[in-house]
Amino acid sequence: MKLELGYIFIKDIQFAEQSKVENGTLYVNKEDVKALILEDQNFKSADVELARPGESIRIIPVKDVIEPRVKVEGPGGIFPGMISKVETVGSGKTNVLKGAAVVTTGKIVGFQEGIIDMKGPGAEYTPFSKLNNLVLKCEPIDGLKQHEHEKALRFAGYKVAEYLGNLAKSLTPDEVHTFETPSLTEGLKLYPDLPRVAYVLMLQSQGLMHDTYVYGVDAKKSLTTMIYPTEIMDGAIVSGNCVSACDKNTTYHHLNNPVIQDLFEQHGKTLNFVCVIISNENVYLADKERSSNWSAKLAELLGVDGVIVSEEGFGNPDTDLIMNCKKIESKGIKTVLITDEYAGRDGTSQSLADADAKANAVVSGGNANEVIELPPMDKVIGHPEVVDTIAGGFDGSLHDDGSITAELQVITGATNEMGFNRLSAR
Amino acid sequence: MIITNNDLVYSKLKDDYNILYIDGSFRDVLVKTRDKVHAGYELLTHPLSSSLKPNETPYKSVIISDKKGKLNFNSVYIIEDAIIEYDKFNMNIIKKISEKIRKDFKLIDLTVLESALNINY
Repeated sequence: MKLELGYIFIKDIQFAEQSKVENGTLYVNKEDVKALILEDQNFKSADVELARPGESIRIIPVKDVIEPRVKVEGPGGIFPGMISKVETVGSGKTNVLKGAAVVTTGKIVGFQEGIIDMKGPGAEYTPFSKLNNLVLKCEPIDGLKQHEHEKALRFAGYKVAEYLGNLAKSLTPDEVHTFETPSLTEGLKLYPDLPRVAYVLMLQSQGLMHDTYVYGVDAKKSLTTMIYPTEIMDGAIVSGNCVSACDKNTTYHHLNNPVIQDLFEQHGKTLNFVCVIISNENVYLADKERSSNWSAKLAELLGVDGVIVSEEGFGNPDTDLIMNCKKIESKGIKTVLITDEYAGRDGTSQSLADADAKANAVVSGGNANEVIELPPMDKVIGHPEVVDTIAGGFDGSLHDDGSITAELQVITGATNEMGFNRLSAR
Repeated sequence: MIITNNDLVYSKLKDDYNILYIDGSFRDVLVKTRDKVHAGYELLTHPLSSSLKPNETPYKSVIISDKKGKLNFNSVYIIEDAIIEYDKFNMNIIKKISEKIRKDFKLIDLTVLESALNINY
């Protein structure tokens, strides 16, 4: 399966009469976007704001970040099973508004998550401070249930991202990147001497605000399965996970999965990137056993030499991570794990809720308990009062001058467990 | 059997499931679960949440087997680790939370439990 990603670089975003992309600027008709959001009768009002790199803006609470993309050639549409038909994506051509994103905000439950600072020390911790963001602030109708609100907000994000992506459909990309996955037998013939590597992508799947969807299917209801990496680049996997800002995988992370990017970079040079295995993180221990059994079985069946495993979240998913590791290693296949740490404020406590001697190659995305100071911003988009109640915040987190003292886990994407961040530990 | 300190879980599921309601903390639920595991019950759901930290949410529901058998070492290992993990989080910074937020935490705990029980809303 072969996909060409055409990058159209976006260096600025502005409101305008007509939505279009011109000379690296994304122009957006605010009223069109608001009307699109309000098609959903679950919202009583909507507002749209801009947040550019370097501006003194804080966005809170962030639910999801989505990169605008559009299918130019080949079957299917972006976000299949959600807003496009369930057709297999991942081949042909896709254009990307690189440097732009849609950010959804909203108070779904009382405890809330996710800060993106566009300037200052907080901006250094999140990759989304480098993007030209269109921020959606949607107010639900009175009495809307939390799970309906979550779904409505999620779909508002996809629809607006699709609307912006469509602006790029007939544009000539600034850069084209080609990604191709051969069949198993072709791969063996092409690279007989290279180590064969698969990627086990663990998906959060625990219930309200903790879910991930694959072609529209709630991942908790699926057995571990295989997927072409380019399908993920076309939005086959989307995030419905609104909890734990620092180590959730937003839809943006899935579209731009750095493990997939790096494996493709080395494909045919130092290794043979075979495919992606997607596995869930359920609550039931029997589900964890079953899903990790299947990860190991598929890795064995594919005949790979090595597997990279990435996690989402903290706590009980550490058990899935370690089960995947132990069972795959016991098949004689080497594993490398990517996770983050809750090692206490001083970093001296045990980092994960589970461990095993076989987990001897682990990459850390950083310590989410570290306390950070965020200076006040000139403008806050969203609901600043929720800082005291977000994960990693505490009573007194929000100071009178608008500055914040909190744990690193308040920042969206700060310790991402795909490695899509700037922190590490050596 | 469901061990819970979440009254929403108790009131919603008590007619259909065997529920041990604990009038106490998240930690009390873990300790009661450990005692049951030591007595030979098997742990069926993971006692830690996936994203909510133990010093954020006051509510926890855990499912164990209805029947007891031989000591299950996997269950012992997981519940003991969960208690260690719970105690690691700095409890003196636990937040004062409003009634609205309490309700939301109860709802999240209920939906996570329902996802394990395969109850769809």
